[in-house]
Amino acid sequence: MTTNSTADNEPLIRVRALTRRYLVGKQEVRALDGVDLDVERGQFVALVGPSGSGKSTLLNLIGGLDRPSSGEIHVADLELGTANDKQLVRYRRERIGFIFQSFNLLATRSAVENVETPLVLAEVKAQERRRRALELLQSVGLAARAGHKPNELSGGEMQRVAVARSLANQPLLLLADEPTGNLDSQTGQGILDLLRQAVLTRRVTLLLVTHDMEVAGCADRIVHLRDGRIQRIEELRPKAAPPEFLPKDDHDAAR
Amino acid sequence: MTLRDKTSTAWSNLGRRKVRTVLTSVGVIVGIMTIVTMVSLANGVRLQVKKQFEEIGLDRVTVRPAGEGGFGGGFNPFDFGGRTKIITPADVQRWQSWPQVEQASPEVDLPGDAATGLRFKGKSRPVRVAGSTSAFRRGPFSQPPTALAGTVELPQQRGVLILSRGALKGLDVPQRQYSALLGQTAEIVLAAPRGQKQSYRLKIIGISSDGAPSVQISALDRLAMKSWWFNDPNLLKTDGYDSVVLRAADVSGARVLVSRIRKEKFEVQSIDAILKVADRIFSVITIMLSMVGGLALLVACIGIVNTMIMSIYERTREIGTLKAMGASRADIRLMFMLEAGFIGLIGGVAGVFLGWLLGRGLNYAALWFAERRHLPLPDNLFVVTPALVLQSLVFAALIGILAGLYPANRAARLDPLAALRHE
Repeated sequence: MTTNSTADNEPLIRVRALTRRYLVGKQEVRALDGVDLDVERGQFVALVGPSGSGKSTLLNLIGGLDRPSSGEIHVADLELGTANDKQLVRYRRERIGFIFQSFNLLATRSAVENVETPLVLAEVKAQERRRRALELLQSVGLAARAGHKPNELSGGEMQRVAVARSLANQPLLLLADEPTGNLDSQTGQGILDLLRQAVLTRRVTLLLVTHDMEVAGCADRIVHLRDGRIQRIEELRPKAAPPEFLPKDDHDAAR
Repeated sequence: MTLRDKTSTAWSNLGRRKVRTVLTSVGVIVGIMTIVTMVSLANGVRLQVKKQFEEIGLDRVTVRPAGEGGFGGGFNPFDFGGRTKIITPADVQRWQSWPQVEQASPEVDLPGDAATGLRFKGKSRPVRVAGSTSAFRRGPFSQPPTALAGTVELPQQRGVLILSRGALKGLDVPQRQYSALLGQTAEIVLAAPRGQKQSYRLKIIGISSDGAPSVQISALDRLAMKSWWFNDPNLLKTDGYDSVVLRAADVSGARVLVSRIRKEKFEVQSIDAILKVADRIFSVITIMLSMVGGLALLVACIGIVNTMIMSIYERTREIGTLKAMGASRADIRLMFMLEAGFIGLIGGVAGVFLGWLLGRGLNYAALWFAERRHLPLPDNLFVVTPALVLQSLVFAALIGILAGLYPANRAARLDPLAALRHE
């Protein structure tokens, strides 16, 4: 990350006039219709809204899984609309961690191997990636289940593995699409605590899509979407990361 | 993603559907097995033929008169006016003086329908009259006869003959007494269709191990017989020799001779040239036999394509997840191509082994059959060379990778979002 484009006064994510249209048959559907949004580094932002409001579309666009119809998405120093495929693949591999509602663990691989996968893709050496994966499993409280296959784990455990996996490549940005949707509220709360902890201690930025207002209540900001537009933004906590968690160079830049 | 990680991922992905993987590779197994068996048979036969030819001698060149219709046409007694260029004794003498020629032996063939008999110790029996160098006409698997007594190398000298073991059958001469026959006189009786008979008295100088009833007589004696048969004392002047065998100092000398004599408009043939033609024929046969295996491989290809499409369909979500985590198209493509390549390779390994085994079995059966029929067969008709093994394995893997090309491309092009939503 270059310092000039992501100095602390610049937001990590800058979305401008973003639209995404689909053709369903001959009917044009506007999933996003002119969205402007800034997200600062280290913030926990919840995207809420009824189904079809465009919250998942926005998440996928920011994650580089989808391309905008028009408008701009700046994440750090990359504009996703004009980036080529190679840049997008690299962006997903190095800067993004995804967490899905249905976990999406690789069924034939053990918990630790699942956590290792992003590191395999990033060509980290075998010994180093095993060490880091075990460390991450430890941090989500699953060190004892490292050798288990996903079908031997409970839903909550699977999502914990998925959280560990999303953090493996030390991303800038965590994107979670209904991460508690398949879990009971108590297990879901455990996952939310893990995510909050990641935001606080690792200073990652978290974008979380949910329609559960209780879940959204844990965020720093809540962005309400409806019919592809931002309806309103609720500020629950003023500024995110307390200064002691700032890395040293950023600390200097903030002066 | 490193190549090593892709390879191990592809391998472990095959392991999750073991039965399907093995069933898919059966086509490759059958194809490679067929090819290995066929090619090893061609290899073996070719090696044997080559060995036989080399025993006869690659250093020999046979010259025939021009205008006879080429080699292998056989001699037609009603067509002897057809020679446009005859081999005269002067030609033979000239060739003999060339530096490449070690020895020039003229040959005369008796007409095919001339009845020849051997009269010896009061008994008569039909025999074939041959020259010393009738080696070309031997079967590919027969060994050259050896001397049981005296010599089997016929000198260019009148009045002598070499008997075969087969010609002595029924005369009650045990083998240890063969040497006692040397120096005795035997009679060759030539019978013309017009009813006349002419006999020639010749001295026995050797007994050969050939089982067929035959006698070897020098070219000059045969020329005399042929002159009598056609009632033409000037036969040598009008028709010349039927052939001349030139023995060169070495193979390269033989090659020089072939081109030199061909310029003189004679028909020339050498073992070396025959071997080259034989090699080409064997290559054609090998390719044709391999096509059978190729057909099996084509079917196997379709099987692999089908299996890969199925397994990619099953893993659509997984591919979406990998893409979300930053796997590139090239990563996905190569991973699935390697997976298909492994299916081919598994089939290749099993196919090579089974092909070798089948070759052993067929060889065993062939030897058993040949022994019952008293046919001379070499020990090993199926030769699997390391090169054949290596080529088969590489070929099998390539077949797999080729078959994986289309499915892997489909997987690589999957839209990550659509793949993640796939149920």
